[in-house]
Amino acid sequence: MERRVKKSGYPHEGRGISRRKFIAMTAGATAALSFGTFLRSGLGAANLKMLSWSNTLKAMDDLLRELGKEYTKAKGVGLSFEFIHMNDLPAKTAAAVESGAGPDIVNLWSDGPHLYAKALADVGDVCEGLGKELKGWTDIAKDIATVGKTWRAVPWGIIPIALTYREDWLKEVGYSTFPNTWDELLAASKKLKDKGHPVGFALGRAIGDANQFHYPLLWAFGGAECKKDGKTVAINSPETAKAVDYRRKLHQDGETDDVYAWDDAANNRAFLASAVSITVNAASIYWAAKTSAPQLRGVTNHALFPVGPAGRFGYSTALSLGVFRFSKNQKEAKAFIRWLMEPKQYSAWIGIGEGMMAGLLNYYEDDPVWKKDPKLETVREIPKYVRMPGYPAPPSRPAAEAMVKYVIVNMFARACKGMSTAETIKIAESELKEIYGKA
Amino acid sequence: MASIARTEQLGVGRWATRFTRPDALTGYGLISPAVFLMLVLLAYPFMLAVYISLSDRILGEPGKFILFGNFLKLFQDTFFRQTVWNSFIYTITTVSLKLTLGLILALLLNQDFSHRNLVRGALLLPWIVPTSLSVLTWLWMFDSLFSVINYIFMGLGIFSKKIPWLGDPFWAMVSVIIVNTWRGLPFFAVSILAGLMAIPRELYEAAETDGAGELRQFWHITLPLLQPVIAVVVLFSTIWTFADFQIVYILTHGGPLNATQIFATMAYDVALVAGRIGEGAAISLFLFPALLVVIILMLRYLRRD
Repeated sequence: MERRVKKSGYPHEGRGISRRKFIAMTAGATAALSFGTFLRSGLGAANLKMLSWSNTLKAMDDLLRELGKEYTKAKGVGLSFEFIHMNDLPAKTAAAVESGAGPDIVNLWSDGPHLYAKALADVGDVCEGLGKELKGWTDIAKDIATVGKTWRAVPWGIIPIALTYREDWLKEVGYSTFPNTWDELLAASKKLKDKGHPVGFALGRAIGDANQFHYPLLWAFGGAECKKDGKTVAINSPETAKAVDYRRKLHQDGETDDVYAWDDAANNRAFLASAVSITVNAASIYWAAKTSAPQLRGVTNHALFPVGPAGRFGYSTALSLGVFRFSKNQKEAKAFIRWLMEPKQYSAWIGIGEGMMAGLLNYYEDDPVWKKDPKLETVREIPKYVRMPGYPAPPSRPAAEAMVKYVIVNMFARACKGMSTAETIKIAESELKEIYGKA
Repeated sequence: MASIARTEQLGVGRWATRFTRPDALTGYGLISPAVFLMLVLLAYPFMLAVYISLSDRILGEPGKFILFGNFLKLFQDTFFRQTVWNSFIYTITTVSLKLTLGLILALLLNQDFSHRNLVRGALLLPWIVPTSLSVLTWLWMFDSLFSVINYIFMGLGIFSKKIPWLGDPFWAMVSVIIVNTWRGLPFFAVSILAGLMAIPRELYEAAETDGAGELRQFWHITLPLLQPVIAVVVLFSTIWTFADFQIVYILTHGGPLNATQIFATMAYDVALVAGRIGEGAAISLFLFPALLVVIILMLRYLRRD
């Protein structure tokens, strides 16, 4: 009787490993693993952990790992990197901030130093030291990384955003150089579309491209979402109206309808498939052409954003390196960042990037990388024109919220879909008032 | 008589000692790991989320208790009102589609045909494949430039011009509804199929003898007997769809023009990207009271049956 129960009740008995054995094995393995961790944490010098985006250009991350090894050898400080997709950074950073545990060094995006200010250590010593040594910081670097008067992160660089265009097609319609003003760009776009080569600037949920095109457009016409105080919403202005009218016209006369659906990768694909003539992007299209469309490499070039009534503007994603306040290795973390930003290491890193990154220390404006390829020469100038969402106020939480809610992009998108200028601005104004009202 | 009284007396005494007897203690010992897991993995995060939703907490800062301040503010928020509207359209449409199509599919699969088990197994694929991966494939099929769907339908002459799947507010909603229905359909079909197979054949035979046609059999036998299964499946699916994140996040990220923004994607943007975790928690818990009432009513109804 007993045997029968055993047989039918436990059909797996006798096959594979027994339950007791399994428990013993897992317990043993857990003990061994935790002992290993214990040993590693207790022995030797500090072990720094750095959380960073996984670069579109893998070679840059590989070099970072190499540099880390070099640093460990020289200074005896261990380094481990965790590279994750840029869209996962906010969640991972938020988890670290909330739990007070995680990496020592964190790669922050544009407004990160402002959003997480209270969780970040003061890195003023590193920044001021670097500034003194390397011809000072650009103005935008200070806007990005200082909160009040305190440096909350070390500006690591920007991903320079330019207009990527097809030289051959522009020549076809009579332009030997890229249009210098927004009005000229409109005229050129019309001619290009008539020839079957429309332009394309993302109007969909492309957190990078869509914002990077539409903020500078707004600023170039003199519009802004708020006043300098960072509190008063100022979107409803004749300047904004002009920018909106312009955008509608650009869409009707010269642009493909696909732009409403574009995410950050879509315009790269469209450009490489020869479906658009001008788009907004980092240099990534240019070096992607190397492998996926070599015939385009010779006819692709980069241009600065055009000049508008209020001047020339750009918005490029900024990257900075913060040290968490909860880190027990703050001193070592700062020393490593400082070392990473020094010419020998930094030049090698942006050198491998071929225009993917530009430094925000004035010294790096003359970096050899900009002489490598004449098509990247314009990219070098971009940091001068870069502003951050929220401009003319410094980056802030409301400005970040307005950006993730696509308030500005959607204002333009509604106009392109046919809504009147006054109406779309009014919607944006009420959305901005809701957002800024919370601060 | 006397013996009965004694038993009753003892019964009361037993009731008192029931919870302290050695074998009862063993029982506690045995369920304690499960209770512990429930507390740590379910109760604690949930209570924490409720607590956060009642505060104006911002990432990395403590924040203060503001009771229902977040919820009241959300009522005023035009952006959020659109999100609520979208979420309802999304959930109601997908659940009704999944139910109708699931029922039809289950009836078909209940017929006799060759390789029936193979087909039944294959049907589960959309449900088994990791959602994020299958949705990436859909993203390609809806691509503005390379959409294979547009390519085929235009080639066949069914569409005269390409459909802006993810580029137009209306079509973007259609797209996420299609994908959600595609993904959730197997769950409906298989659950309903299980319900169908449990219906005794005799009922149909009896009905046939009495002269009931196929339609009347379906209406008077199949549907009433499937009711409990359908209730459970609809309940689960409604909850899952209201909380859906992956499909919308990958396909449209809430766009264009916020036309597909739903609770979870908006909560993600507000809480994790803009750092207002109090408000973000309030967004994700917004429907909780309403869903709780639905769940209680549904479960009561089921128990009554």
